[in-house]
Amino acid sequence: MRYAFFPGCTLESAEEELMISTLKVAEALGIELIELKGWTCCGASHIQDVDDFLATSINARNIALGEELGVSKIITVCNTCTLMLRTAKDKLDRNDNLKTRVNESLRGTGMQYKGNTEVTHLLWMLIEEYGLENLRKKVVRPLTGLKVANFYGCHILMPPKIMGFENHRNPQSMEMVAEVLGAESVEFDQRLACCGFHSVFPAEKEVMGLTGMNTLSSKTSGADCLVTPCPLCQMQLDAYQPDAQKGFKEDITMPILHLPQLIGLALGLSPEELAIQRHVVDAIPMLRRSLQLV
Amino acid sequence: MRKIHFKIKRFDGNKEWYQDYQLAYEKGKTILWALTSIREQFDPTLVFTSACRHAICGSCGVKVNGSSYLACKTSLDEVLDTFKTDYLTFEPMGSFEVIKDLAVAWEPKMEKMEKVKPWLIPSVEGDVEGGFIQSEEDFHHIASPTDCILCGICASECNQLAVNDGTYLDPFILNRAYRFAVDSRDGSPEEHIRPVIENELWKCMHCMQCATSCPKGIPLTEQVAFLRQESIRMGEVNNQGAKHAFAFVNDVRTKGRLNETMLPIKTDGLFKTATTKVPFALRMIKKGKINPFHMPKAVEGIKGVQEIYKYAEEVENR
Amino acid sequence: MLKYDVVIVGAGGAGMMSALYASKDPNLSVAVLSKIFPTRSHTGAAQGGINAAMGYRDATDSIEKHFRDTVKGSDFLADQDAVEFFTTHMPELISELDYMGVPFSRDENGRVAQRPFGGASSPRTCYSADKTGHVILHALYEQCLKNKVNFHNDWYLLSLSVDKGKFQGLVAMDIRTGEIHAIQAKSVVIATGGFGRVYWSRTTNAINMTGDGTAACFDVGIPIKDPEFVQFHPTGLASTGVLLSEACRGEGGYLINKDGERFMARYAPEKMELGPRDLVSRSIETEIKEGRGFGDGMGSYVLMDLRHLGKEKIMERLPQVRELAMDFEGVDLITDPVPIRPSCHYMMGGIHVSDYKTCATPIEGIHAAGECCAVSIHGANRLGGNSVADVVLFGKYAGLGARDTAKKRSFTDAKKLQQDAENWVKKFKKMREKKTGINMFEIRDKMAETMWYNVGIFRTEKEMQKACDTIEVLLEQFKEAYIGDSSEKYNMAFINYVEIGNLLKLAKAVAMGAINRKESRGSHSRGDYPTRDDEKFLKHTLIHNEGKKYRLEYSPVTITKYQPEERKY
Repeated sequence: MRYAFFPGCTLESAEEELMISTLKVAEALGIELIELKGWTCCGASHIQDVDDFLATSINARNIALGEELGVSKIITVCNTCTLMLRTAKDKLDRNDNLKTRVNESLRGTGMQYKGNTEVTHLLWMLIEEYGLENLRKKVVRPLTGLKVANFYGCHILMPPKIMGFENHRNPQSMEMVAEVLGAESVEFDQRLACCGFHSVFPAEKEVMGLTGMNTLSSKTSGADCLVTPCPLCQMQLDAYQPDAQKGFKEDITMPILHLPQLIGLALGLSPEELAIQRHVVDAIPMLRRSLQLV
Repeated sequence: MRKIHFKIKRFDGNKEWYQDYQLAYEKGKTILWALTSIREQFDPTLVFTSACRHAICGSCGVKVNGSSYLACKTSLDEVLDTFKTDYLTFEPMGSFEVIKDLAVAWEPKMEKMEKVKPWLIPSVEGDVEGGFIQSEEDFHHIASPTDCILCGICASECNQLAVNDGTYLDPFILNRAYRFAVDSRDGSPEEHIRPVIENELWKCMHCMQCATSCPKGIPLTEQVAFLRQESIRMGEVNNQGAKHAFAFVNDVRTKGRLNETMLPIKTDGLFKTATTKVPFALRMIKKGKINPFHMPKAVEGIKGVQEIYKYAEEVENR
Repeated sequence: MLKYDVVIVGAGGAGMMSALYASKDPNLSVAVLSKIFPTRSHTGAAQGGINAAMGYRDATDSIEKHFRDTVKGSDFLADQDAVEFFTTHMPELISELDYMGVPFSRDENGRVAQRPFGGASSPRTCYSADKTGHVILHALYEQCLKNKVNFHNDWYLLSLSVDKGKFQGLVAMDIRTGEIHAIQAKSVVIATGGFGRVYWSRTTNAINMTGDGTAACFDVGIPIKDPEFVQFHPTGLASTGVLLSEACRGEGGYLINKDGERFMARYAPEKMELGPRDLVSRSIETEIKEGRGFGDGMGSYVLMDLRHLGKEKIMERLPQVRELAMDFEGVDLITDPVPIRPSCHYMMGGIHVSDYKTCATPIEGIHAAGECCAVSIHGANRLGGNSVADVVLFGKYAGLGARDTAKKRSFTDAKKLQQDAENWVKKFKKMREKKTGINMFEIRDKMAETMWYNVGIFRTEKEMQKACDTIEVLLEQFKEAYIGDSSEKYNMAFINYVEIGNLLKLAKAVAMGAINRKESRGSHSRGDYPTRDDEKFLKHTLIHNEGKKYRLEYSPVTITKYQPEERKY
């Protein structure tokens, strides 16, 4: 299996552990990920606030990079990157006039947006193409006894007319993957909540409150760790957790894992190979305890 | 016989409780049918609001298993299928003051809405005797935002409102501001936009709940983007939100990628970053998340990226 | 005691327009009471449009033609002086609404767009896609916010107080607190909407269209005019009665029976589907009666087919209609025809307005506008697009009328008002304490059933007598009704109880007017008197409430220009 890979800025600069774990997991599963050469930031749901044409155009370029590779799909591991690329694609595929103008703007890149390559998230690809049964076959260390709180993040679900992989009011893909890995999914109120990352600067106070609510809710539900398919949710819930704690009397501590890290553990990779030691909230003691890792 | 179990949040002005009801399943019914049946068959004390039964009056917003729906427009089968259960919990919409049971108060919201001057400020092009000339295209700009029925579902689902102290404007209020700001007949778009800027426009979290939940399909998040663009055009760039957005725009222009290390400084300025974000940064550096010396190189093909910017500026935004 | 110069009851199109005009005088205190939040009002449900002879789409259109069409549509029962006043002032009102910010659809010249509508000889219906009432309602609400109109939301009119012919004020409940208030007023505008809910489930009307203001006026001695004229909208969704706009026919929809025929050719060979509502409704029911419909019994229907209009036109002109059909009947108009059947839509009759220029009633101080009253401009049958027009235009003149009345009158003594309020307090207490009795919803449903079967689209003496008898029985049973809610705050069961009482009162008037009108005219179609009888019945019915007995009298119709002729389409 061969895919174009769009890592996104976070994997390069602030969440390199997701890059490491994604590549390790892909390798273990026999999935070839070809990183797009010269990809740019997706706009991270900010550039359209300045200029929406620009937001569409830079992503038309990103998608065109994938089209050049002649693969059927571009894989992402970030919810917001997925949404930004798919939003641009949706606009371009539905509006010929826009497509013409955008392609005009792409002249200097020597590429054109054609619309023949899909954009998908690793989570979706595993279910839709790799197959959960095939994944199950690769599990060498079932995560038996590990209680995970699946935190989807907004941008892998909404808006459904652009994302639409599953029912956004009650998605199950994370639970399906967790089940295959042998982990137990816990129910918690904030399963479909927003992490608040995109407004952490202008709405710091509100977002810290939200962060605390999110981790606390998973904690009260008995989760050992929270898992998310989005590095931005991960960064918000993990790296800002000490700041969020200041607003709460209760202990809100909760280790936050990236989805590929959870998968990697079941595939037999060590926490260090998956760069789990890089998280702000140390997840390793919990993993040792729950999975009896040495 | 299949039974549907309802747990309805009750409130009588003093105390709150959940009450259980059951109805025999019937195919093809709506949530409103369930509420009406419960009330007329079992419990006339149950209060909820509804009027037109066809999604134009906006009365019957309600939370079902945590998500907000227009009761008349939503089929029971749809929610049963969504939640894969025959147990439903009905609660009043979020972010509203509850009067009784599922009925909520709109007056505080309207008081807030008045801030954006939610009425046409007629331009000099028209007069009361002859009205206005407005092109079909200009009408199309206001066609979708005027679909708003003030049902409040966007507000009920808004993640910022859920944690905000009440200053942030509800999505339907932003929609009203947008609706007049883009109306070719309005003579003072800034009078509608200025209050939006003054009331935490940049706190929208981009979660997409409002646009996703709107029973009228109004693209509320695109309107937020528009309002922000307009605020920038009005010169309101000296705030965290706008500076943050520009940090992305500028990083992509110069290097193609984001410089996460510099992001807080670009958004908050050096001083504020030094005082508030230093513990955060040290944490990130200590764990190896951020390498403070990592300065992204320009991506391959950056010239092409810059051509895109040039086109956007010179052709699209002329 | 609360005291206002002008009180407006109802916050739909008529109520808010009245409020805007009454409160233009800064020296007057004006309050609006509404049992629901203003933008929930039923004006918002009007889809198709608002008639005014702008002449934009068809330069040959004129106020005169609008006048003639309305009179002809009314089967000559409309008062022609009032109709002429109405059609004359409509064009300026459209411009005013435009200036208020109503987002009208536009023509290629940027003027307010107009479309053809049933019964209109020119395309004169101004519209905003298929949400015309909705956008007008919201624009009026915006204007009310701008002008700081004093709304009392969730306040319910219980009764009006009149002593020796003098209006003193009104009694209303603040639903949220359960407090009952006596409100002194110099003048009042009743704008509470129609009472289509006498047919409870087979109506396009909102759940709260219960004729509260009409019943309140009736109780203080103002007669109800022409209540027998009930318009059945031809295109209600078969399963729920929810309305599909007339715009469907306006834009060229076909009505098809089970033999695949466009059956309107039999009834209106020239106008076909664009015939007036009463004619189309009867044609559909005739098809069903004669075995050419689909389904059977209460589930019978014919089909409306829009597929030939094409996706683009449907999406552009009828987007909300398409959504309605999808949500409530599970049909996509682009690919399938939709099952439809007539549904009670509009009450031509209502509070007797005796002066169309001020919307005054026979009792000084009490004015009325909109569907709750009969001016009468609709006579025996209202044309599509004339109801929102009626609401905003007469709402305006009622507001001005009430303002002028308030300036002329002073507050009266309030003894009767106080006493009325005390009686309501007692009644509320009694009903909250009552533990057993007859279920009020059952009474309501029986009323609707007898009205639908016996005073519906086709009427005969024998069947209507049955309805009259049943309603008498139900009125007796209503005395034994219990509400099952003892709470003081937000007791909707008590409100429903008063509403059902109002509906029963009005249903009786509908049946009485109908059984006594021994002719067929407009929406009133009798199997035993199939033709119009101008000699005996070219006159308005006026029903007076004299306690248990109602008294019926007739009053002349004002005819200025158009002598009755046969209505042909």
